[in-house]
Formats: sequence, structure tokens, C-alpha cells
Amino acid sequence: MEHTAHVQTKRSRGGFEFCLNDERSTTTQSLSSSNVDMATNANLSEPSDSEQSSLNDGNLSSQSSNRSLRVAEKERRKNEAEDPFVLALKYFADVEAGTPVCGNDEVERNLVLVEKVAYHKGLPPEAVSVMLEFAMSLRMGTTLCPRVLKCMIPATMVPQKAVVRAVVWLSVGKIPISTQVLFLKWVLTMFDLIDGKEQLRAIYGFIFSFITDENLCPFICHLLYLLTRKENVRVYRVRKLLELQSKLGRQPFLLHLLSLYKVFCPELVTLSIPSRMRSGFRNHSLPWKSTLIRMVKRNDSQVASSISLALSVKDKAGSRKRKHNHLQIPALHSVVNKPAQADPSSIRKVVPLLQLNSFAQLLENMHHVELPAQMGSLLGSSVALQYLDCVQDESALLRLNFWLGYALHEEFLFCDGVTHNSEESLQFLNKLLSTQHFLQEGFSSSEVFLYKFLNIWDGSFLRPQILGLLSNIPVVPSSQIGQLLFQPLMQLFFTSSIFFKCGLIDCLNNMLLRWLTWHSVYALEDDLDISLNSHTSVNMTLSGFKDSVIELIHFVGRLASVGLQLEGCHTLLLSFVLDFYETVCDTFLKYGLPLVVMPPAGVFYPALLATDPVSVDRLAYIMYRYKVNLTSAKSQGTVAEQAFHISRQTFREFNHYIIIMVNCLWNSRMFQTSNLDMKLGEELLLRSKVPQCGARFSFIHHPAFMSYAIDFHQRCWPGRKDVDLDSIKDPKSWNWYLEYLFTQGWDGLQQFVQSNVSWKTAAEVRCPDVPSSQES
Amino acid sequence: MKLHYVVFSIVMSLLKPFSKLPGLNTANILLVESEEQLQQPLADVLVEEATFTVNVRLAKTLPLPVENEESRPRIDLVVFIIHLSSELSLQSAEASLKHLDSGYFLGKVCFMVTNARDASVPPERLDAVRKLAASLQSPLLFAEDQTPNGLTTATERLLTILKGAAGLVPMATALYLSNLTRYSLPFDIDQPTFD
Repeated sequence: MEHTAHVQTKRSRGGFEFCLNDERSTTTQSLSSSNVDMATNANLSEPSDSEQSSLNDGNLSSQSSNRSLRVAEKERRKNEAEDPFVLALKYFADVEAGTPVCGNDEVERNLVLVEKVAYHKGLPPEAVSVMLEFAMSLRMGTTLCPRVLKCMIPATMVPQKAVVRAVVWLSVGKIPISTQVLFLKWVLTMFDLIDGKEQLRAIYGFIFSFITDENLCPFICHLLYLLTRKENVRVYRVRKLLELQSKLGRQPFLLHLLSLYKVFCPELVTLSIPSRMRSGFRNHSLPWKSTLIRMVKRNDSQVASSISLALSVKDKAGSRKRKHNHLQIPALHSVVNKPAQADPSSIRKVVPLLQLNSFAQLLENMHHVELPAQMGSLLGSSVALQYLDCVQDESALLRLNFWLGYALHEEFLFCDGVTHNSEESLQFLNKLLSTQHFLQEGFSSSEVFLYKFLNIWDGSFLRPQILGLLSNIPVVPSSQIGQLLFQPLMQLFFTSSIFFKCGLIDCLNNMLLRWLTWHSVYALEDDLDISLNSHTSVNMTLSGFKDSVIELIHFVGRLASVGLQLEGCHTLLLSFVLDFYETVCDTFLKYGLPLVVMPPAGVFYPALLATDPVSVDRLAYIMYRYKVNLTSAKSQGTVAEQAFHISRQTFREFNHYIIIMVNCLWNSRMFQTSNLDMKLGEELLLRSKVPQCGARFSFIHHPAFMSYAIDFHQRCWPGRKDVDLDSIKDPKSWNWYLEYLFTQGWDGLQQFVQSNVSWKTAAEVRCPDVPSSQES
Repeated sequence: MKLHYVVFSIVMSLLKPFSKLPGLNTANILLVESEEQLQQPLADVLVEEATFTVNVRLAKTLPLPVENEESRPRIDLVVFIIHLSSELSLQSAEASLKHLDSGYFLGKVCFMVTNARDASVPPERLDAVRKLAASLQSPLLFAEDQTPNGLTTATERLLTILKGAAGLVPMATALYLSNLTRYSLPFDIDQPTFD
């Protein structure tokens, strides 16, 4: 095909004098269409449009306007013919093979002109074709080729025909390897701007053949990754990739392509793909990207103003252009929205997601859905998300993850300074968060992104969003959780303000809640082997899951104890910590996870000795729930087989805490507990000169309840001038006092007292009743 | 006291953490930055935000000049500000480190890095800073110095560390805190793990 084209141009040049006129008119015509495109961009063709409308207005002015129209038309033609840019393009289209570059001012002049246009407003599609053809055919040797490629900035889109031809040139011409790589990088960068992928897919096998070239392999793999469909996966291709892998080692690009093949045809790829891979294909940070972004930004306003013109054409181009601003989620748009190309005889009936507007429609067409070329557009469409959720389409998720990982990396880890738009990033992350909430699971790419981002995070940049994403991550294996999560989080936690500390504890609480919910949902399906994520094939055994949960709980315990110590038992932080333990104490009954972990002393004591009654009340509630969980676990242990072993240590810790709480709040024998780990000597307590130091934290004297005691005292004995709180100790008033306390809304305390102390309002006895059943 | 000064003048080039007495409810922080871009705005916010008395001292490099030796208060925390966009910044910090007494590395040194998310920064430089901080067991803070919010956050984090280093947190010492905040090399997510 290429060859004949060449001959034709040569022949036309043979009859130069004669053909020139004719040829010029055809080139200018074809170029003029692109020029019109540009003109609409620049809002130039508006006058003619308005004249057209005035033409319809009345017959009176028709003649004059007709004339002016003709004049304008002529003018434009003349302009086009003399437009140096058009002439420059014509030069490149026609230049003869073998023309020397050295000392050729004409080439230099024309190329500079094209470059100027390219960097200023981008090249129209026609110009892209011409220049690409010129460069790849090596008509003027290899020296100009990289320079031309570098200025290939499309204004609207890249015609796929031009790309196909250029790919063909790859094998025909003697292009230096570095230029070949440059070309492939260009294709990858401009991939979204190529106006269709069908023809590229048609030469899939041809592109695949380049994979044997070691230098091109990574880029070819990336390109194939973007192009692959189910029908492209063949045994011999898989074999070839495996062969390459044994030669080159387990390269990430080969693994990624293979993992996609595996998703499409699991029976063909038996290789085990590691669950955690290098994040993706390498980024090609070339000048194109920043120029493109800059241009898109500039064009945006123009597009908006000329939107009324040629809406049907512009609509497409506009949405394509926007895709290059990564963070703007591309509009849902399908590859097959050109009805002309839909062959009625084709076997596969496909319905683009774009055309589905309701859930009912989605249900009807569930098996014919064609995914959009831009997976990111799924984030913005609820129908698409429903599709993702209902259909266990691994390839869709894989592609979405790929897109997402790329976008996140580009925007947050690899900024080029120019695109520092936090408003855009904010909206993007919010969208991502709402998507994850809709699907009720996190994307693995956002997980990988977070592991990297946490290492360079300052702790405040987009904090709510980042913490939100963090709380969505799926269960991390306990062997890696420390290094991936805990290390960076610990450094952030201890160097940041109290508000960050609270936010992080809250985030970890949400993470734990989510993990436990997953467990309670998926554990029902299978007792031992729980698949944590319905889509990915990460399987985890129950013990593995438990290990991760234990690690997380212990980690928060460490953070909380030291954090509370450093912040002087800050009430706000304590409240978030107690939130967390309200989740922890109910793991068995509420989420069916056979696990009970007690809070560390660094959390227990600050809560017990807190100066606000809320914290003490919540601690009492937590201890009450622990008791309910432990007793139910114990009773199940004797009855059912699915019992789990709770270590003696846990029971010991629990009993210890209970005894201390009861002695402290109820018995006024704070330092007399026999099995205290820490024991204070009598003489030391005497030296403190605190009278009745054991009673200082009873319900009456506890700083959190002192105000209630005084209030109660005043109500009981309104006449008394001097307040003697000890008079409440009298059994009768003590009962009244407790009832009074419980009517103040301290339900946690009430539940705690009722479950742990044999206390009856009428009874006169008050003694601790530590449940003996739990002593084993 | 006299003997004390004599000893100090012999090894004057070394900055020592415990050679002077601390002030009451006062903390002194030294910001070392060869570019002198971030120092001043950071110092302004530091003084503004603090709930205790903070003396901020600025330096381009270490060692500090001998002239002010006597009037200089005890430095509780030395912060090295490194701009990843320049190689010089890192080299200057590395050179300055030699003029610190080893006692500082028990929780009284911290590194602050900017432009970590910039594409133009070679990854090797970031790795070098990470290794440096990890080998000296000091905290490594990343700062978003371009935004006003980022500056405030950076200040808050410095104050948190400073409070600990100056001994203003009850029941905690600089060494204890450095155990929690010191940088450790991150797990390389890019390395494929084969399970």
C-alpha cells in the first residue's frame, strides 16, 4: 500500500506543470477542511454564519449579503492559499525523497513554522497525518525525524490511519532504535486522542511481532495492553510472552500483559501472577504532556464559546481533548458510537454503556455491554458502576484499576509543577471516594498509590480524602501490614497535631469496621477460606485475617497509649480511642469474628481516671460489652464445636480490669487490690498525705462525678451549709445516689454496675461480684 | 561555669546539646537551610503558632560563628531544610551535619524536605535523603511549602517535635520520642514480591 502511494506522488510530480494546479486545489481543499476546523476553534467563521442567518431574514438584503458572502469566501480561499502554514505542510507532503537536509533553508524555515503552530495551538488532524508520514517515511533522512516527532501536538485528535501507516513504517524504514522508541512513546501519550482503535486492533498481530525487539518490548507491551480484547488472546501469543519472560526475567511489563491475558482467558495462562505487582507501566514524562495540558486549558474557553457551532462534530473532539487533563474524569463515551461502522452482519452485538440510561436498560443489555475506551469515565456514571458491581467482569476492573493507578500517580506523586490544581484533585478524590462507597470496596490501584503517598505525605494535604481512601483499603496481610502501613503512619502520628491524631484513629476505626464487615459477609459463604474481595482473587484464610486484625488492634493500642500520654490524656483523642474500642469489644457478637482483644493499660487508666464523666461511662459500657462477648464465647465453647480458644491471658486481663474498676468506683479500695501488677507501698501512700486515698476515685469523689455528688448532696440536704460528701456513703443514700446518677443518662455505668455488682436498690449489701465463671 | 566555657572553646566547631542550661518554658530551634527561602516564613509562623516561648535561629550552614557563642542559648532542635529540587541543598546539609555533636542525634535533629512530589526531582536524590535520615535515626518530614496550609502544617509538626526535644512534654524525653518518630526506610512497593 505504502509503495504504490509513493509511486503515485512521483508520477504526479512528473507532469509538474500540468498537474500542479490540480494537485494544489486538492491539497488545499483537504487542508481547508482542517482549517475550517481550526477556524471554528478560533471563532473565525462566525461572520459567515451570521450572514447566513440574515440571508434567511428577508429577500431585500439577499443580494448584497450574497455578494459579501462570496467576497468573504474568496478572501478566505486566498488567505488559505497564501497561509504559510498550509504552504509549509504542502512542502512536507510533497518533498522528494533524498532531499538533503544540510544547508537546506527551506526545510528549516518550514519546519520552524510548523513547530510554531504546533506549540501554539496544536496541529490539525490533517497536519498530523502529513507530518507523521513525512517523519516516519524518512524521506529526508533520520536526522529530522525526532525533531518532527517532538512537535507532534495534535489540536483535536490524531487520525488513526496516520498511526497505522506510521506503525507500518516501523518495519519498513531503517529508523534508528531511539526514534522508534520515541514514536512509540508518542503513540502511548496520544493514545486517547486517536480517533478510533478498530484499525489499530486490526493490526494487533502485526504490532505484537515487534515484541521480540528488546528495546521496544516495554512500549509494545504497554500498547498491546491498551488494545487487547478477548479475541486477541491466543495460545501462540501467550507462548511467545512466556518465552520472552524466561529470556528477560519477570519484567513488570510482561507480567502486566500476561495478567490481562489471564483475565480474558484464564485457561490459556497457567502462570501464577503475583498479587502485588509493580504499579504499572512506566510514565513517559515527555514535553508533549505539559504542552498538551497547557493547550487544552487554553482551548477550553474557546471550545466553550464555539460550542454552538457544529455541535455534532465538536462534541466528540471536545470530550477527547478533555481526557488529557487526567483528573477531569472523561465523559462516558464509547468506541463504537459510529453507527456507520456497526456492521449489521457482525456476530457480536454490542451496546455501548453510553446509550444505557437506566438500570432496566442495563439489565436488558447486560451481556452486550461494550466498555468505553476510557475506563475512567466509569467513575462518573452510576449505571456503569452498577454494571461493574453486578457483572464479575475482571477485565473491566483491571482496566479501571490501570487507568486509576496511572491517573493517581501522575497527579499526586509525579506532578510537573504546572498542573498544581488542588481544587481539581479534591473533586477527583471525592469522586473516587463516592465510587468506592458505592461499590463498597477499594480499588487495588488506590491502595498501592496510598502506600507510596503515605511515605511522602505531610499529613495535611487533602487530609479528609486521603484518610477516607485509607479507611477503604482491603485487608493487608499481616506480614506486610507493618511495613506498608504502620511505619509511615506512626511517623506521621507522632509528629503531627492532635487533630491529625484524632483523624487517624477515626480512620483506623473505619478501616477495622470495614474489615469486620467484609468478614461477616464473606465468612458466611465459606467457613474457613474467606475471599475478601468479590472481584480480585486475593484469598485469605481465617487465621490470616485474624492475624491482620490483631495487628491492627495492637497498633492502634500502641498509638493510643503513647498518644494519650504525650497529649496529656486529651479528651478529644480519648473519645476517638474509645470509639475504636467500642468496635473492638464487640468483634465476636456483632461481626462473628472469634477474637477478643483487651485494651492496653495506657488506654484503660486514662479513661477510668478521666475528668469527664463521658469517658468513664463509655469505658464502663466497653467493659460491659467485653463481658457479654466473653461469656457468650465461653458458653458457646462448651456447647458448639466451632468454639475458639481464648487465652487465659485475655481472661486474666479482663478480670483484672473489672476488679480495679469495681474497687475503684464502688468499694473505695483503690490501692488494695491484691493482684495488682503495680503495688504502692502503704508508707508511700501515707506520705502523700491524701486522706482516705483509696476512696478518691469512688463514684462520690471521682473528679468526673464530683459535681453530681455535690448536686445530689444539695438536693438531699438542702439546708446543710457545709458539704460533706462522705454522708452519701450511707447505704441508703448511696443507692439513691446511684439511681440519681443513672437517671442522668449514664447508661454505660448502669449496665456495668448491673452486670458486675450484685446490687439491688432495696438490698443493703454492696460487695463486688467478679464473675467466677470467667476465671478459667 | 568557667571550666565549662574552656572546654567549649576547644571544640568550638561542634554544636552541643547539653552544654548550656535550658530556659524555663522556652525552646530554641535552629533552622539550617542553604537557600534561605523557607527559613524566614517558617520562623514567622513558628513564633506565631507556639504556645510557649520559641526562639528561632537561622543559619545557612554549620558550624555557627564563634562570636555569638556565649550569647547563644541552648539549641534544642536542629532542623535541616532540604529542597529536593537542588543537589546543592542536600550536599550542604550533609556537610553541616559533621558539625553537630553526636548527642543531637538522640532526638534533637530533624530533616524537612520539600518538592518530594515533583516530577523533575530525580528519585535517587529522594532516596539519598531517606537513607541519610534513616541512618541518623532522625525524623524526616515532608512539607508542601507551596501552599499556606502546608506551611502551617509543617510548623505544627516542627513544634510537636520541638516540644519533645526541649523537654516540655511531661513524662517524655527526646530520646523516647525519637524512637517513635525516627524515619525508617519504606518498604519498596515497586519490588515485585513473589509469593
